[in-house]
Amino acid sequence: MNAAKPILLAEDNPRDAELALAAMEEEHISDKVVVCRDGAEVLDYLYCRGPFKSRLRGNPAVVFLDLKMPKVNGLEVLRTIKADINLRPIPVVMLTSSREERDLAESYALGANAYVVKPVEFHKFLSAVKELGTFWGVINEPPPEGSRSSHPHS
Amino acid sequence: MATGEGKPHTDSLPGSSGFSHVRMPWFAKLTIEHRVLAGFSLVFVGILVITAVSYHNTSILLSNSRLDGRSHDLLQLLSNIDVAMNEAEDAHRRYLVTGEASYLESYTKVVHQKPAFTTYLRELTRGSTAQEQRVGVLDRMMDKQLNAESKAIALFETSGFRSVKKMALEGAGRRELGVIHQLITEMDSEERQAMNGRVADSAVGTRNTIGLLGIGAFLQLVLLAWVYYLIRHDITERRRVAGELQRRGELLEAANKELEAFSYSVSHDLRAPLRHIDGYAALLRKSVDESLNEKGARYLLTISDAAKQMGQLIDDLLVFSRMGRQEMLRTNVNLEQLIKSILADLRLDLQGREISWTIAPLPEVKGDPAMLRQVFVNLITNAIKFTGTRSQASIEIGVDRPSSAEIVIFVRDNGVGFDMEYAPKLFGVFQRLHRAEEFEGTGIGLANVRRIVHRHGGRTWAEGVPDKGATVFIALPTRSSES
Repeated sequence: MNAAKPILLAEDNPRDAELALAAMEEEHISDKVVVCRDGAEVLDYLYCRGPFKSRLRGNPAVVFLDLKMPKVNGLEVLRTIKADINLRPIPVVMLTSSREERDLAESYALGANAYVVKPVEFHKFLSAVKELGTFWGVINEPPPEGSRSSHPHS
Repeated sequence: MATGEGKPHTDSLPGSSGFSHVRMPWFAKLTIEHRVLAGFSLVFVGILVITAVSYHNTSILLSNSRLDGRSHDLLQLLSNIDVAMNEAEDAHRRYLVTGEASYLESYTKVVHQKPAFTTYLRELTRGSTAQEQRVGVLDRMMDKQLNAESKAIALFETSGFRSVKKMALEGAGRRELGVIHQLITEMDSEERQAMNGRVADSAVGTRNTIGLLGIGAFLQLVLLAWVYYLIRHDITERRRVAGELQRRGELLEAANKELEAFSYSVSHDLRAPLRHIDGYAALLRKSVDESLNEKGARYLLTISDAAKQMGQLIDDLLVFSRMGRQEMLRTNVNLEQLIKSILADLRLDLQGREISWTIAPLPEVKGDPAMLRQVFVNLITNAIKFTGTRSQASIEIGVDRPSSAEIVIFVRDNGVGFDMEYAPKLFGVFQRLHRAEEFEGTGIGLANVRRIVHRHGGRTWAEGVPDKGATVFIALPTRSSES
């Protein structure tokens, strides 16, 4: 179990974020969720800089990554994570509206751990987010912290 | 002033164009190939004419020069004969007077020469009637002269000088010799005249040939220049059209790409608010669960249903859009196996239905297996759907081959059918001919069918009778053509 580790949700749309949180709440894991509103914020969180300078050190249990985001998009964030030796072990789940083959192929090529298309119907979305949150945030054993650098470059 | 001048000028324009309209149609109808062919044909005919005329004139010149040679020979011969006959006359007289054998010898020589003279004369005058006639007379005269002289010599040898004294003084064939002289003079002048005529003739022929060559060469140059202009003009025009086509193709491609990007983007951006509508409706239901009355619950349900329906529409639109831009495979597709596997997949949906299937032997076609599968899934599920109200449904899949250029396959059902008046709408995107509560579906199925068949280079159409059934046809070209 990894109760202590946060779930990082990168979602620029506040309604999607709220709906996702509502789903997590039903599984009582919503307090573990950290919401980032764009790709830059995700990177700030991961590298403990900007508003996240003083956060508790440590990688999240999982990153749920939207593809279309302002400033830095999902694929760019994914590329940065998988190119960084310290961040690479973090499981990254693409959570997106796109079912385009191109997006799927590129995500997996960059090293995404899973790719989930957001269903339009809420109850399907609900169950998808709940399952994802439970699996990656609770059931799955994240990589040990030893693989993480305590002094990330800024 | 200027306007006064301009007016009649502009007035004359329609007239002149009208004239050219009257004159041009047959020429305007000719294609560039025909015009070029006509130009080259004219050049070819020109060359033939010039060659023929030149050949003719040259052969006349040649034959004239041959005739001239013959005339010179004849003149020479005539003069020789003249000399020889004089010599004969002279020699026989001297012999009659002196009895000297050398004179007899000279005379005999002429007598011996005479047949050769005649042969040559006939040869050199062949073809000219007047001269031939004269040769006849001349021949007779020469014979006569020599005969007379021979007789005189014979008489001299038997009876002595006295008996031939008169002949020795006057000459035995004196009269004949005079005629011979006259004849030879006539022939000479006639031959010279003919030669002069031929010289004039040759000069005219040569002038004509040179003139013809000059004019012909000029005309051919003009014709060739015209053909060159035509070809050059055509090439320029073709190049321009090709450039224009390419430009339009590029524009079209850009527009297509933009359209696809647009529909992709719209489809995805539309999904988010739909998810939110459904999501917040669900959250609302949850938060006001106890206080919600039946009406309110129905409203919330309708909101969710509407959102789901729109989600389905967007999904269909995305599939439709993908069908348009997806790369196409080209392999042999066994339609019989394809239909079998589709029916196997639909087995669960068909439970509780009474359907009699009639499936003709189906051919192999060239195309994209996944796309063609989509076509037949749509056609078969439509047939199943629209026969839903029938207690005994029948669905037929058959082949029609009106021409070798395409294979026509149809799916016929005895379902609710449709009014032929609406047939053109049938294959449109989101076009439905039935009310939503009668039959489910967004109305994208046949639009996908048409798009896929079109991409295979084929055609689609449908026939129907309300409440009797419908038949959807797809025609696939037997020779694959990428679109």
